[in-house]
Amino acid sequence: MRIATPSRRDLLFGGGMGLGSIALSAMMSAQGPHHKARAKNCIFLLMEGGPSHIDTFDPKPRLGSLHMTKFQKERNKFEANMNTGERYYVKSPFQFRRAGKMGIEINTLFESFREVVDDVCFYRGLRAESVNHPTALYHLNTGNQFGGDPALGAWISYGLGTVNKNLPSFVVLPDTAYPQGGAANWSNGFLPAIHQGTPLRSTGSPVLDMRPPAGVTADEQRVTLDLLHSLNARHQQRHPDHAELAARIESYELAFRMQAEMPRVLDLRSEKPETLAMYGIGGTNQDADAIGRRCLLARRLVEAGVRFVQVIVMGWDSHDFIENAHGARIRAIDKPISALLGDLKRTGLLDETIVVWGGEFGRSPDNGIRGGGEAWGRDHNAAAMTCWLAGGGVKTGSIVGATDETGLKGVEAVHPIRDFHVTLLHLLGLDDAKLRYFHAGREKQLSQTGGELIRELLV
Amino acid sequence: MRNLWRILALPALALHGQEAAEGFATRIQPVLVKECQGCHGGSMALSKLDLRTRESMLLGGSRGPAVIPGNAADSLLLRVLEARDGLQMPPGDASKRLPAETIASIRTWINAGAPWTGTTNSNWGHYKPEDLWAIRPLPPQDKSKTVDSFLQSGSMADRRTLIRRVSIDLTGLPPTLSEIEAFVNDRSPQAWAKVVERLLASPRYGERWARHWLDVVRYADTAGYSNDFERPNAWRYRDYVVRAFNQDKPYDQFIREQIAGDELYPGNAEALIATGFLRMGPWEHTAMSVEAVTRQMFLDDVTHSTAATFLGLTLGCARCHDHKFDPLPTKDYYRMQAIFAVTEFVRPPAPFLPSENTSGLAAGKTHMRDVAAQAKRRMDELGAGNKQRENPDLFEEFKLYQKHTALYKESLDRFEPKAFAVSSGPIDGATDGGPNLRYPKAANYKPAQVHVLPGGNIQSPAETVKPGVLSLLERYGSYPSPAVPETTSGRRSALANWIADARNPLTARVMVNRMWQYHFGKGIAEDANNFGKMGKKPSNPELLDWLAGGFMENSWSIKSVHRSILLSNAYQSASLPPRRVEAEVLRDSILAVTGELSLDTGGPGTYPQINDDVARQAQHRMGSLAPAYRASPAKRDRNRRTIYTFQQRSLIDPMVEVFNGPSLDLSCERRDSSTVPTQAFTLFNGQFVHDMALALAAKLGAQSPKAQIRSVFERVLGRVPDAPEEATALASLRRLTRLHSGTPPTRPVQTPVVHTITSELTGAQHQFVHQEDPATFEHNLHPSETTPAVRALADVILALLNSNEFAYVY
Repeated sequence: MRIATPSRRDLLFGGGMGLGSIALSAMMSAQGPHHKARAKNCIFLLMEGGPSHIDTFDPKPRLGSLHMTKFQKERNKFEANMNTGERYYVKSPFQFRRAGKMGIEINTLFESFREVVDDVCFYRGLRAESVNHPTALYHLNTGNQFGGDPALGAWISYGLGTVNKNLPSFVVLPDTAYPQGGAANWSNGFLPAIHQGTPLRSTGSPVLDMRPPAGVTADEQRVTLDLLHSLNARHQQRHPDHAELAARIESYELAFRMQAEMPRVLDLRSEKPETLAMYGIGGTNQDADAIGRRCLLARRLVEAGVRFVQVIVMGWDSHDFIENAHGARIRAIDKPISALLGDLKRTGLLDETIVVWGGEFGRSPDNGIRGGGEAWGRDHNAAAMTCWLAGGGVKTGSIVGATDETGLKGVEAVHPIRDFHVTLLHLLGLDDAKLRYFHAGREKQLSQTGGELIRELLV
Repeated sequence: MRNLWRILALPALALHGQEAAEGFATRIQPVLVKECQGCHGGSMALSKLDLRTRESMLLGGSRGPAVIPGNAADSLLLRVLEARDGLQMPPGDASKRLPAETIASIRTWINAGAPWTGTTNSNWGHYKPEDLWAIRPLPPQDKSKTVDSFLQSGSMADRRTLIRRVSIDLTGLPPTLSEIEAFVNDRSPQAWAKVVERLLASPRYGERWARHWLDVVRYADTAGYSNDFERPNAWRYRDYVVRAFNQDKPYDQFIREQIAGDELYPGNAEALIATGFLRMGPWEHTAMSVEAVTRQMFLDDVTHSTAATFLGLTLGCARCHDHKFDPLPTKDYYRMQAIFAVTEFVRPPAPFLPSENTSGLAAGKTHMRDVAAQAKRRMDELGAGNKQRENPDLFEEFKLYQKHTALYKESLDRFEPKAFAVSSGPIDGATDGGPNLRYPKAANYKPAQVHVLPGGNIQSPAETVKPGVLSLLERYGSYPSPAVPETTSGRRSALANWIADARNPLTARVMVNRMWQYHFGKGIAEDANNFGKMGKKPSNPELLDWLAGGFMENSWSIKSVHRSILLSNAYQSASLPPRRVEAEVLRDSILAVTGELSLDTGGPGTYPQINDDVARQAQHRMGSLAPAYRASPAKRDRNRRTIYTFQQRSLIDPMVEVFNGPSLDLSCERRDSSTVPTQAFTLFNGQFVHDMALALAAKLGAQSPKAQIRSVFERVLGRVPDAPEEATALASLRRLTRLHSGTPPTRPVQTPVVHTITSELTGAQHQFVHQEDPATFEHNLHPSETTPAVRALADVILALLNSNEFAYVY
């Protein structure tokens, strides 16, 4: 008896569509779109730690006159220990200047970003519910403070399916360390595993074990793979009725197509030197270089058909010395995020891509006395923050919502995270109320129990 | 007018019914309770308006109906909230008005028809009998029947298929060649029963079935969230579960020990350890969290998980509103929660038991003390916060060692004879839960009053409730509810006894259904954690009841249920669908067939070889970074069964994760077994699988190529190759031997682990170099230490370990 051995070409370049690909395709079939989409991709620039709205995009001159005066706050049993003790107003150490035609006042350290503000919609009404990093991150990323639910990117992958089946549809570009709460921030939760966020690592192999151990040659691997396929083919003859066996064979083929495609997407050498420079890559600011690489990669991944890319930038938790800490962060992101917007616009991708910038909460206008009163910083604040959006369907060049005169609380167009999620899904052609998955006794959805569209953000 | 509402409201309801109703429960009712009902409810119905029910709201007061469903604009409620006609509620100046987003939610809710999901037993009595199947009393077991009385089964599977099926089912490991041959050649009519008994008696059985239980209860060795602190004595709970299965502990006792071991068996360390069950959920309290919120988080978690684990009820829905589908009113939820309102976290002394593995504790403690002392010394040298400004690098390093010192302080307790447990009321000196949690003293302890919390919102407590069990079984199951004492002690005992009672039909049904699912891949009722209306109905309710009845009549013996199932023709049928083995079975099987598996049992979790990139990945811990991952230096620790590896919530072994391991945060009632390409990377490219393949190849290297191929098939697949397989494998081996004839690269020098953190003070990046592996590290065999023939054979083994035949069970 002759054993049917798929040819090497079939294996590596995905020849015939077998049963397996049908099974896999069924798994990946999209649930949506539910209505005409304004965009088909999303890049989420997650600023982990809670960037201060007061020191970036929502200046509060009133704090100048209140600086170091006593801050009065009602104390109740729903207050965290962090917010107890004597507290004082703290002014921003930064300068602000109007930018763009829209004329928004932003921190002067945003030297490049000020050139693109007219492509951005600034939202000052978003409200978080937790002042604890991991729960607030889970909330922003998954809609549920307690972790374990599918991430926004997983829902989008589930809703829209994949464009390039050789690549994952949800990719995460983490910072040097994983954020608090770890990989649960990009979990598929109860959705099928194919929708899980794939973190691409900046060092080592970008996808775990995408390459064999050092010393294994391509020839050796090919012989082993051929042997595996002949064993599986023989086994399949004994169990002809089981499609999932064929799906597993197909998954090896898919893996090796991904092995071929991923390095091409990740290789930045094909980019022009001026593009690299625009993103801050190769410049003197090493942080900007690293963030620039992730932002450029985000553009390349979206170009290659990845639906949702999350770029994580850590280090915004400035309880002390906010001038140094936020200053360095702003200098590091300024070129990369501006270049990303410019680049997407130049290639026409911005029309079909939503770019989101934001953290898990904003920061407080006040602080305890730390470091002898010199170490000004800000604590966490769930009641006020700024995020921004750009891209398809977004009302660019505008400011939506407002906070009070000290930046303590949102007062206009205030919406909870769930409404923000509903709005992002809406832009991508997905209806949160329809994008559901039955789990543990009920139909589950990203917003948990439904939410409202933030119409002010939309064109 | 009423008809007009219907016309207006119905389309909206049809579209958004569930949402609007849940929105009411979670967002609107808490506002009504907190802001309105003080004056417009009960005896204080000012303006004769009572806002406590939908009916009274529609009826309205002296100013007319408060709400016109479907028409928010004209509804009085909205007019006064917006102060449109000179009348404002809540009264006072503009600052007293409700936030705009709250008013917007109320507008949306009224426009959607004002659906009401109350907390006042609103659904009571509207259940179809078929939806209450699980709470009906169990009929006595008809002893003349067997499993096969309820099922048609076709032809029997062959013996090789059968022994692999039952070995993996009961022990999580494939049978050895000699076990297979013995069974295949055993002509006695008892051959199958002998195999079943041998496997049930194997210590490997408890390891396999404990893993199922740990999935449901979300076992982990750490607490999750920002710091992911170790739960240093949790391993004793894991070993307790392994022992319980191996000893065939009666399931009713297993329940009593886990829910109320401390109360029911005072002074019994085993039972105290068992109460760790109640604390298995992720939980953390920091300076940034609110005490009342984290306490409530625990109370909700334990209420929900107890009901899901033992009763298959989705009680979580009733947290915010009466369960929409099942007879689970919100009041019952909080009555059950009141049972736990006196449950406190403790880590009291509990002497080690003779059955626990304490052999590595002394050495482990010495080692960890050294590591902890080094970190502490470094922290002290670096000094405190006044370096913040002049030398941020040193300050970041100080913070790193400060964090490590805090983490090690918890971890050091893993070697101590203490239990990760609970008590009724605090025990001075044994309280547990972190530095930021304030404890009452035992002497002036007063049980907290429990309120119904509409919408689950702790800021708008409604009526108070007394501890009690769920009322659905008394109402629909002819099982009277016992009184639950209001004293500090005894509440959980009452709950445990109510669950572990032969009259409680859910308890046995839920457990035998779980067992059926683990044997067949699919439960008789498919949603193992949901026996309510929304769970799938049992495909064979008579069989489920028959099994449940037998379970109780055999003194709740779990092994008796196995025997009923395994000795049936149904289990031995040739037509069971193939199942991909779970992550742990895959890893343990690879270790077993390559001869590398360590059968050491119990004790603190060990650290397996995991993907090196993940091992080197920096992990955030609030304000700083965790110490680098270190695999256990000794092979016998690294190569233990997966159940004994350290289960860290923030760092799951990527191999386990990619093969659909459980999340550790949500109860996993059933493993997913989806196929994704990254699984191929792990199994075909991963260092672990390559190392194990090489280890086996080195053991077989001295034979002729033909004998090698034969041995490899026997070891990995438990059979000899057929002629075409042998020919193909031999040809591959020859080609590979040629390809491997060059010199392989030498073992790479391990580079130190370098972690980078972005300073919160300066925004600059700081690097830390972690200590290297100790000299005692026992390395795996490296290709450079072997011959081309061995390396070639390792590739053949790699192919077999990746094969469908190895990954599936039939």
